[in-house]
Amino acid sequence: MISSNRLSKLAVAMCAALPALASASQTTTVQGLHDNSSSFVALQNATIITEPGRSIENATLVIRNGKIERINENNRAPEGARVVDLTGHTIYPGFIDAYSNYGVPAPKQEQRGPWFSTRPEYNNKREGGNAANDAIHAQERWVSASASDMKAAKDYIEQGFTAVQSARLDGIFQGQAVTLSLADKIANDVIYNAESRHFGSFDKGTSQQQYPNSLMGSIALIRQTLSDANWYEQAYGKDAYNGPVEYNAALAELGPIEQEGMVFAVTDDKSLLRAHAVLSEFDVPVTFVGSNYEYARLDAVKATQAKLILPLNFPAAPEVSGVNDDLDVDLADLRHWERAPGNAAALASADIDFSFTLHQLKKAGDFWPNLRKAVQHGLDKDRALAALTTVPAQIAGVSDKAGKLAPGYMADFVIAEGDLFTDGTIKSVWLQGAETELAPLRTANFAGTLEAELAGQAVSFEFTGSDRVSGSLKVGDDSHKLRSVRRDDGHLNFVVDATIDGAQGAWRVQLEQTAEHAYAGVAVGPQGQQLAFTANRAASAETEVTTDSADKADSTVDYVSRLTYPNVAYGLNGLPARQNLHIKNATVWTADEDGVLENTDILIRDGEFYRIGEDLRTPSGYEVIDATGMHVTPGIIDEHSHIAIDRGVNEGSEAITSEVRIGDVVNPDDIHIYRSLAGGTTMAQLLHGSANPIGGQAQVIKLRWGATADQMKFDAAPPSIKFALGENVKQSRYPSWLSSRYPQTRMGVETLMRDGFTAALEYRDRMQAYEKLSRSERAKTAAPRPDYRLETLLEILDRERFVHAHSYVQSEILMLLRLAEDFNFTLTTFTHILEGYKVASEMAKHGAGGSSFADWWAYKFEVYDAIPHNACLMSEKGVLTSINSDSNDLQRRLNTEAAKSVTYCGMDEHEALKMVTLNPAKQLKIDEYVGSIKPGKHADFVIWNNHPLSSYARVEQTWINARNFFNRERDEELRAELQTEKQALMQKVLADPNASKGESNGYKREQPAWHCDTEHDTWLGTFTAHSHGGH
Amino acid sequence: MKKLLIAVAAATVTLSAAANDIVPAEPQQQPILLQNGTLHTVTNGVQEDTDLLFVDGKISAIGSDLAAPAGAQIIDISGKHVYPGVIALDTTIGLREIEAVRATEDAEEVGAVTPEVSGHVAYNPDSEVIPTIRYNGVSHAQIVPQGDLVMGRSSLLQLDGWTYEDAGERLNVGVHVNWPRVGINTAWWERRSPEEQRKANAEARKNLEKTLVQAKAYYDAKLAGELQGTDLRWEAMLGLFDGTSTLFVHANDQRQIEEAMDLTQEWGFDWVLMGARDAWRMADELAAAEVRVVFGAPFGLPSRHDEAFDQAFATPAALAEAGVNFALSYPGYWDVRNLPFAAGNAVAYGLDREAALAAITLKPAEFLGVADRLGSLEEGKQATLVISAGDLLDPIGQKVEALFIEGRNVDLNNRHLQLYNKYKQKP
Repeated sequence: MISSNRLSKLAVAMCAALPALASASQTTTVQGLHDNSSSFVALQNATIITEPGRSIENATLVIRNGKIERINENNRAPEGARVVDLTGHTIYPGFIDAYSNYGVPAPKQEQRGPWFSTRPEYNNKREGGNAANDAIHAQERWVSASASDMKAAKDYIEQGFTAVQSARLDGIFQGQAVTLSLADKIANDVIYNAESRHFGSFDKGTSQQQYPNSLMGSIALIRQTLSDANWYEQAYGKDAYNGPVEYNAALAELGPIEQEGMVFAVTDDKSLLRAHAVLSEFDVPVTFVGSNYEYARLDAVKATQAKLILPLNFPAAPEVSGVNDDLDVDLADLRHWERAPGNAAALASADIDFSFTLHQLKKAGDFWPNLRKAVQHGLDKDRALAALTTVPAQIAGVSDKAGKLAPGYMADFVIAEGDLFTDGTIKSVWLQGAETELAPLRTANFAGTLEAELAGQAVSFEFTGSDRVSGSLKVGDDSHKLRSVRRDDGHLNFVVDATIDGAQGAWRVQLEQTAEHAYAGVAVGPQGQQLAFTANRAASAETEVTTDSADKADSTVDYVSRLTYPNVAYGLNGLPARQNLHIKNATVWTADEDGVLENTDILIRDGEFYRIGEDLRTPSGYEVIDATGMHVTPGIIDEHSHIAIDRGVNEGSEAITSEVRIGDVVNPDDIHIYRSLAGGTTMAQLLHGSANPIGGQAQVIKLRWGATADQMKFDAAPPSIKFALGENVKQSRYPSWLSSRYPQTRMGVETLMRDGFTAALEYRDRMQAYEKLSRSERAKTAAPRPDYRLETLLEILDRERFVHAHSYVQSEILMLLRLAEDFNFTLTTFTHILEGYKVASEMAKHGAGGSSFADWWAYKFEVYDAIPHNACLMSEKGVLTSINSDSNDLQRRLNTEAAKSVTYCGMDEHEALKMVTLNPAKQLKIDEYVGSIKPGKHADFVIWNNHPLSSYARVEQTWINARNFFNRERDEELRAELQTEKQALMQKVLADPNASKGESNGYKREQPAWHCDTEHDTWLGTFTAHSHGGH
Repeated sequence: MKKLLIAVAAATVTLSAAANDIVPAEPQQQPILLQNGTLHTVTNGVQEDTDLLFVDGKISAIGSDLAAPAGAQIIDISGKHVYPGVIALDTTIGLREIEAVRATEDAEEVGAVTPEVSGHVAYNPDSEVIPTIRYNGVSHAQIVPQGDLVMGRSSLLQLDGWTYEDAGERLNVGVHVNWPRVGINTAWWERRSPEEQRKANAEARKNLEKTLVQAKAYYDAKLAGELQGTDLRWEAMLGLFDGTSTLFVHANDQRQIEEAMDLTQEWGFDWVLMGARDAWRMADELAAAEVRVVFGAPFGLPSRHDEAFDQAFATPAALAEAGVNFALSYPGYWDVRNLPFAAGNAVAYGLDREAALAAITLKPAEFLGVADRLGSLEEGKQATLVISAGDLLDPIGQKVEALFIEGRNVDLNNRHLQLYNKYKQKP
């Protein structure tokens, strides 16, 4: 029943409500006359749903002065109240949207051009005690800027909303929200909760500041900011080592955030878990604005114990109607199209509380159709109502006054006809006792056969349609078509050419409904004669037009898609089982002292290699793999990988970003995990990029495809970090007018690092000095501000965190060796290190390892002296040497990359294999667990059909901790299964007439292949195109 | 450094690290008889313990116990393998030195339609990259200008010349077209709507057709003596219409390939399909239409999320199975040296070894119109051959000991060996 007609009526209703304003506030002086209109209303004969699951039939709701006075279950209306007859209608509590920007000023929109079009801004303009980062607006208390906005309220009210929790949706800490009634009153009267939740997101929004430009940077900024808030609570008013502690309104406002909590917007299930991780470090209670991907990781979402606010913007189906359209369509997108509307039902089945929001809907009018779609996908109606009332009331901190119908609660409610969750209609929305009419309570119904007597002659009218009526007049055997048919809420007007009462011509007729089946009318003849008549609806008439949705109401959806982990093509049903194995008769490349063993058996027990020998007996219960003619090697370990990283590999904004953690942004859904398994790789060190001299913390993972990000992390690996030297960090590809960041030379790289370490040591000195202060001295001395950036540098100096340094040319390698020696730590591994051969003896003497490309060169100036003999020369000089990929392509074939040292410089084959197994394990300091086939080590191994260094070798199986994560035969099955599933989903799309409706970009976007030097601003959407091989 | 001769003479030669001591080889002075090698002839299978004699740059005999002509140099290659020189298609060798240094880039002219530019013109025979490519057995490369639509003309050069003129094996082989995009890009950075993308794709396609219409109109006008003046762009495309030049179509998506097949048939072009990522989806069709295919992604990642992890690795085998006439390329410049290993990788995923070798030797020669003299070990063909101690296609086998181009014994020294040998001496 959407019509422009209705909208104009709403506008009228709102104008009519205006005079009430003058009487509402206690402090406004009255201009002219006092308004003392009665607000005492009884809504009688209604079905009152007081809260989800509680309904009272035939009752009266009594309201006065904007609040609910009582609910009369005996249906009695009190004396003196204006009575509204709600026979056949239902009263719901008013709906609450806990995530809105209603009534607060919009952020100023600054357009950013492509990368390199504007000068980078490294510092925020400081004003009014704001934070050092422009994405932090925590000092904003949106109550102070809030005002009613009837234009904006319209969208909400039309869907039945009466209150919203609101803040400006911009930045990382967006400020403290306010919960507002949508009533048309002065701001003072609509504020339900002046100090509601803080809003937040990972997106820096309109901030023009460089930092953060990645997801991990945003997470690090949240961590530092919350830590700062804790520090500031104690420190403000005291003296720091370099002067009085600054006034910082943003930090001050974050002080009580453990009580106030946050509403935090995320874009997918993975980011929800990330936000949970960082916010729970600081005991910040959080409600997530979800993404409708939660069904894909339901258990993990459930484990956060957080509530969710769900947008109802479901994706449109990908276009598949053209014969080749499916070439552009991923299975994952089809699956999400099918399952996103069922997300709410999935959350409900897991007993996760959630509310609904209008946010993200392009058209507010899609709200109810989509909500009903969610119900059709199995969402329980009481849950759905809770998601509109009690749950958002809790989230918005107004449970004591809104979200239910009870005495003392605000008179915020919705009057509807029929069941809103199937096909009902909202008739009016009452905000603080004032009605906004959306549709008349009763609308005349003309459809059917109406029998009448006109001037003594029996006639009948046939009407069809409800909004747009058409019909005919039957006089005897003649049928006359009606024309110029118009209707409003009460009347039907038309013209009919007929002979009535002997007068032939155009008769004008008006009808109105007087009772359920009774009508009164007047007909005006060609000479102006008027005939009054009555009409009755014939008993057989069709009175109700059933709608499609009513038919579907009870059906639930049968999914044709599978739900896998991750929920993309080649996903698994669950973690593969750990098996005890007997591998028989293989050629075993131990990558250890034992070398290569022919015709050898391996026993694997409890996830570890147990025995290696010839003709071993099969213990009972062991799975036997006949590996005759096959080769078994340890799982390949990649020292330098950028797969499985979400939304930015570089926090390349500032020169030192040691506080950011790749571990915060591991992406378990990345298909390259599976592809690398298919190339025999079982572990990788996920490194930060090389855009700054001291980059972020690295994360060592096992390629446990199907696991969550946390389950993939290899906790036994000691912490590590990425450093970078040379062309990338000195921004060689930036135009000179943009090159303002220190350093721009290799000289500056050295001093910057030296400065960082010096600062870290002095920071520790201050920490220690503070510890020694007396109680009275502490009362006036601020504790040093905990600094994650410097803490990380201290871990390096304490030899608790190990450095992997991107490096190419010999001068910079030597520089870093000497710098490390000056600060008394050992540089663990130089990565890339393409001129390592020039300073191999210096590296060996220092104890640094080298992890190289096999044969890459010439792609930039600093690799013009790279040679494919590098690994040989470094090894010969005693450098612990490995070969890495830095590429999602090469990560699949590191075996033949290692083999190139055999090609170019005659390295022993077993030694070459060690360069991608044991040696990287040593460089990552995990060789006590992995890297070789040795009793007691993890059963991470690969079965090859051929000599593992040969062009002709192919991976048959890849195992991690005795779990089979890749199997060639299983892979063949998966290919066939996914084709079948994809075809079935496409059939479903083609059969659904509404498939194209929805958000066209509702899918998980494919991410770029990250490389070291992919510089990218995740939030501004700008990035430098990666040139071939630019590492 | 002549690696093989040193091996024969067992001499130690003091090397200079300077680049300019790598001198293009002089013409073959004396007959050379290779004895008792394993010959991978490509056209006549693998012949064990066989001799090969070449004189004046041409293979004069292949057989057992060949008699050495007077003055012949005899080289015992027992246990070693002989292959035709590898021909690398679709490269920018000599047009790029250091990719990130713009001054060293000569691969892409401005404008979408630049058929008039020729790859060999900017070819730098002193590029430090070239000797490193030869070192892995690559004797020839097709030098291809890059671009958005009509990229320019490619030339086949042998990789051991003083200038592009004496390196030229066949200049201006054909015109290269980068087929306009089809389909919908769903990458995160694509901001255009599907509708906008479709429109842009159609426009680019139209632009290509307009270009061909213009070129043909020029050709017709020229034949009729009706030209007002010379247009270098259309001059460069004349050969497409009289059959003296080949159209190389760079297309990867199935829809692009289908469009290209229709268009080339309509215009009657002699053409070769380059790239061809989706060729496996339409292998039978390509075989039936006898399309020559250069598969350019032997180490490729799957081009779509849902494709099998080894789709690109297994595509050559699928093409062979369907009877497609195909070659392999590994487009690029410095990394072209991995082309033999790429062919080996295709073997791991089902391609016959002989077919893999043909795909980087004889097939490229055929597609570039030089199979009468290159691409296989046959009497009468150029003595362009590689001697390797082991399997050329396998990194644990390959050890190139000599490369002869038209009988000339090519210096295998290169920047990498020089630096290696230099730094071996560092204490």
